[in-house]
Amino acid sequence: MSSPFEEVIVSSEVEQWEDSDLSLLETLDHVLNRGLVIAGEITISVADIDLIFVGLNVLVSSVETAHEALRKRQIE
Amino acid sequence: MKLYVYCLAEGVDALPEPVNGVSGAPVRLLKTEDLSVLVSDLNADAVPVTRENALGHAAVVRSILDRTTPLPFRFGTLVTEQQLRNYVAARKPALETKLALVRGCVEMSVKIIWELSGIEQPEPVESDQDNKQGAGATFLTEKRREILGGELMEEEAADISTWLHETVGGLIRSEQVSLRPAEKLVLSAAHLVERDKIRQYREKISEARKDRPKLHFLLSGPWPPYSFANIELEFKTPFGVS
Repeated sequence: MSSPFEEVIVSSEVEQWEDSDLSLLETLDHVLNRGLVIAGEITISVADIDLIFVGLNVLVSSVETAHEALRKRQIE
Repeated sequence: MKLYVYCLAEGVDALPEPVNGVSGAPVRLLKTEDLSVLVSDLNADAVPVTRENALGHAAVVRSILDRTTPLPFRFGTLVTEQQLRNYVAARKPALETKLALVRGCVEMSVKIIWELSGIEQPEPVESDQDNKQGAGATFLTEKRREILGGELMEEEAADISTWLHETVGGLIRSEQVSLRPAEKLVLSAAHLVERDKIRQYREKISEARKDRPKLHFLLSGPWPPYSFANIELEFKTPFGVS
């Protein structure tokens, strides 16, 4: 279990995605959306617009981007 | 000075190795109520959401995952030491129940995405009557078509959820499933899987998804059990533990 992203499979092709934006988004999905909460004691600030987390739509967008990249790679 | 809190664990007397967390601060163990909490000192009122901090939080929680299964705290948990001690003391029975649930397990995450073209949508019906009706009636007709399409997608998502459960049900201890959490997501599922069944679980998913060629799968893990740590009571006490 050396990597939090030991396996991420996308689409019908078995693809290994490591250290990718997908992995970061999966991490954000977990650490920002889930976990124990001490009510009223979550205090975060968002300064970097690239990392504003607007929900799972971001993840889906990234999956689609990844698909597009994959398709281009296959065409080439 | 406040404490940034990463996770809570049982049976941990020392960190496996020195680790730095959010803002690069060194992580230490705080023992309370026979439990260990991984914390770091932070002189701030809020934690910036940055790539480094998010990954730092995840890395600290993960650092003890090989040794035990911790209960992760959500990113951004900043408390005083007294608040943390009060929290653990007040929630101890619930925390112990959660620790027993996740003991020996990890979380696997499955997100299933559909191509909207793969779902049959009711065709728009154009008739002479439609052509004669006003803008309001046309709007209502279109709205009805959208609702019918939405209902079809709901049914399809429920069917896929049942299929997924039947596929991996024998390999999971617990699950959290959210149906259609976003427009293009069929579902987002978190499965609590015993460590010695991870390989079987992966093989099962890899094999089963061949039956659903129109769906895209995003499988990730193993994760600490972020999705299984919440204590329901926490959301009923708006002002927390003082």
